[in-house]
This record gives sequence, C-alpha cells and structure tokens, in this order.
Amino acid sequence: MATLQITNLTKSFPAHSKGGQPTRAIQGISFEMSGQVFVSLVGPSGCGKSTLLNIVSGVDTPSSGTVAVTQDSQKAKLGYVFQDPRLLPWRTVMQNMLYVTDLSEEEGRVNARRYLEMVGLDHAEDMFPGQLSGGMQQRVGIARAFSVDPDLLLMDEPFSHLDAITARSLREELQSMWNATKKTVLFVTHDVMEAVQLSDRIITLAHGGTVFDDVAVDLPFPRKASDPDFATHQAEILARFETMEAERAEKAG
Amino acid sequence: MSTAATLDRPRLRRNPVVRALLSTWGARLTSYVAFLVAWQLLAWYVDRVPEPWETFDFIWREISGGSHGGVRPGEFWEHFSATLGRFSIGLSIGFVVGTVLGIALGSSMFLRALLSDMLLVLLALPAIIWAFLTTMWFGLGWEAPVYTVILSAAPFVAVNVAQGVRSVSPDLHRMSEAYGVPRNRRMRSLLLPAVTGYLFTGLRFGVIISWNAVLLAEWFGAVDGVGWRARLWYDAARYRGFLGWAIIFIAFIFLLDGLVLSPLQRRAFRWRKSAAADVETEGLGGFDAEELSTMGL
Repeated sequence: MATLQITNLTKSFPAHSKGGQPTRAIQGISFEMSGQVFVSLVGPSGCGKSTLLNIVSGVDTPSSGTVAVTQDSQKAKLGYVFQDPRLLPWRTVMQNMLYVTDLSEEEGRVNARRYLEMVGLDHAEDMFPGQLSGGMQQRVGIARAFSVDPDLLLMDEPFSHLDAITARSLREELQSMWNATKKTVLFVTHDVMEAVQLSDRIITLAHGGTVFDDVAVDLPFPRKASDPDFATHQAEILARFETMEAERAEKAG
Repeated sequence: MSTAATLDRPRLRRNPVVRALLSTWGARLTSYVAFLVAWQLLAWYVDRVPEPWETFDFIWREISGGSHGGVRPGEFWEHFSATLGRFSIGLSIGFVVGTVLGIALGSSMFLRALLSDMLLVLLALPAIIWAFLTTMWFGLGWEAPVYTVILSAAPFVAVNVAQGVRSVSPDLHRMSEAYGVPRNRRMRSLLLPAVTGYLFTGLRFGVIISWNAVLLAEWFGAVDGVGWRARLWYDAARYRGFLGWAIIFIAFIFLLDGLVLSPLQRRAFRWRKSAAADVETEGLGGFDAEELSTMGL
C-alpha cells in the first residue's frame, strides 16, 4: 500500500532580477495520503499545484521540508500523466509504452496491449503520435502511466488541453480504469467539478501555496454532474474558496 | 474577349502536354533543356567553350575506356575508385568525429564555451586551405585528400549535431526522468532520434563539402584520382576534358543525394506527418529553411 507523506514542504524560486525577492511557490504544506485513494489537489493558477507534483516525482527538489513516497516501507514506483501527452514523436504508440517499462520486450508488449485496450487504442499500437488526435495521444499517456503498475500515480491537469467533450469521455475512462486498478492517485486540477467527479478527497490550495481546505467526497461512483448531491458538494467547495478569496482581498486592502 | 480567354484557360490546362510541362518534373526537364540550349549557344559564339555533344562524347569515351588521347582502358574507374576510397574513409572518420564532438558540445556548456570559437574558425576555413596545408604536411599521396576531407566535414557535422542535442525537448527529458528511464535507453530512443534530422543535415553538408575538398586536395596533392585527372586535362588546355570531369563530379553528387541520402532521410522521418511533403521538394540543393539558415543563406 503506497503512502505519500508531505511534511512542512516549502519551495522558493530565485529572484528574477538582482535585489528582487525570491518567489515562494509553496509555503509549509503538510498532508498524508495512503492506500486505494483518489486525491485531487485543486486551486487557482500559480498556487503551486504542479510544483508540488514535480517535487513528489523527484523532477524538482524542495527548498525545505520532506516528501516521502513509500510502498510497504520500500521506495514506491511512480506513474505520471502530464498536461500534454509527452510522447516520443518518432516512436510508435507501442514503442512509447515500452520506453518506460521495466519488463522484458515480450512481457512489456502483452502488458502494454492490456492498457491500450482499456483506453480503446489497441488498434493504434503501430501508429505514430502525429497520426493521433490530441485526445488519443492523451489516452496513450494515461495507458503508459497505468502500464508501469505504479504505486503512486501523479496526474497534472491531464485534460486541461482537451475540448470539453473529449475531456468528459476521458474522465469517464479514467474513472473506470481507476475502479479496475485502485491505484493511489494524486490528481491536480483547477476544475472543481472534475475533482468532485473523480475524487475520494479534495485538497484545496490557496494563492501563495498553502493548504486551505481538505474535504472527503462521500458520493457513490459513477458520479453524474446532474446528481443534486454532486452539485451540493461542488457548491460547498466553491463557496468556501470564494469566502477565502474575499478575505484575502480584504486583507490586501 | 476576356471572357473567352477565361474560358479557354481550363481547356488549356486539360491538355496533357501543357499539364506535363507544368508538373514538377516538367519544370525540371525544362530547366535542363534550357541549360543545354544556353550552353550550345555559348559554344557557338565562344571558341574556348566546348559543345555539349563533344563534352558528353568525351565523358562516354573516358568512362568506356576508349583510346582517347592514348589513354588505356579502365582509366576512369581507376581514378574514380581511388577518389571514392579517400572520400569514403575521410567522410566516415569525419562523420564519427563530428558526431561525438557534437554530442559533447550539445551536452556540456563548458565544452561549448571552450570550443565554439575554435569550431567557428574551422567552419570559416575554406577547403582549399586544408588542401594546401595537408599537401605541405604529407606530400603527394593518399593522406592529403583523406585528412582534408576529415578536417572539412567534421566541423559541419559537429555543429549540426550539437544543435540537435540542444533541441531535445526538456519536457521529454523530464518525462524520462519521472519514469526513471535508464540512461542508455534515453540515448537510444530520445537523444539519437531527436538528433537524426540535424545529423542528416550535417551529413549532406559534409558530403558536398567533402567531395569538393577531396577534389581540391587531389588537384594539388595526389598523383591519381578524379581531381588529379581533371587537372591533367586543365594543364593540357583540353577544355572538353576538364569540363567533362566537372560534369562527372556534379553527376556523382546528384546520384548520391538522390539515390542514397534522400531515401534514407525519408525513411528516418516517416514518423513526421508532413515528411512526404518535405522530402518531395528536396533534391540536390533542396535543403529546407532551417538547413539554409545554418549555411548562412
């Protein structure tokens, strides 16, 4: 069972000009998540969501604080779905899947086909990314992330570059994949509706990189935006966020 | 009247001869025919310009090993194979050296700072300088042409490969890092394919520059080979001989580019949606905008 433990995490970026102030992207964030949970990190642009994900994945380093990702006391294996698909354009879909795998070529192919089938792209394994639509490319990105059998799956606004209809269909696919695999997922989004639809728990970050809110979403799956309980949850989260924003504006004068 | 002209135009375009002339191949053929006509006209008016048929007749006799000028049979292939050997050895070494140097330069800021000015000097140095220097260093023989080719080709390959290494998307590097992709797999599947386009540009520059370099070096520093043979006819003031060999130089580059380099490039870029269109417009000298800007054109 994967556990992500973030303790008093801070990240600052150096000042752009000489004599300027360093930019604080994250200020003392702490939270823990563990087991078969789907946790969404919600917040406005620039609140440090993606920075946090980069630190968790090891691509970036924290200024202070600690991040520990463990799987039964071992170092956990990570999967990552980015905002854009980040596929190697000169490799076929299958080669892109094999690029990240630890398995032998033969096992890797069988494994990759299983996940490509889940996203409805088993027919496209010999195609190059340039021959696929944006939505199909992102499906490959999702299949790739699940295919490494990650202990912790990080998703950084994976549907933000897609049109509303494609994003909706991908959300449904993601939900069914998650139900089938029950991975530990940390999902970054700025869309509260998306977070309510997919998550067990929603952590809201405020401007300045602090945790503002941390709520459980206790609704049965599959969730429909037309369900009154869904709308209530969404409205509550948004109302609390708006109150916080109003207080912040008042303090700022 | 204008209505009639407008109506006539589509009918004219339906004419198969007009359509053939307006096609890409038709335009190319027209340019060759126009060149030959201009050459013939020039030959009629200028004594020192041989006629096209005379020149092509010379080429044929030189290739088929006729008794032209007392030359024994097989003279062409002997010289051509000598040059081809020097060209191939020099280009292969220059290509490997250039690629290794390019990867090092592209990956290290320190090496870039250390060597980029030196590389610029080497790029600016004309092949004829290397031809003279290597002839002075090694005397007449195979060494001068081979070293001239290495020294002329390597900087072009290095500059292009370095640019290719630096062009690899940081997002793809981050993706590889996030997934913990092993270093050798990154090199094979990320770095080398990303550099391939630049490698081909470097190779095509390298081929053209090396071919010129080997001929120059043989002109001054060899006792056989294509360059030496061209000089023989030049010294004898036999215009058609000299011009015939010039045409052989150019024909070789045309064939190498059209039959080897372009198909290889097309194969390497089959992942690109627009690859077919890109390569379609390329023949000899059909470099794309990026390649031309690297040449400073």
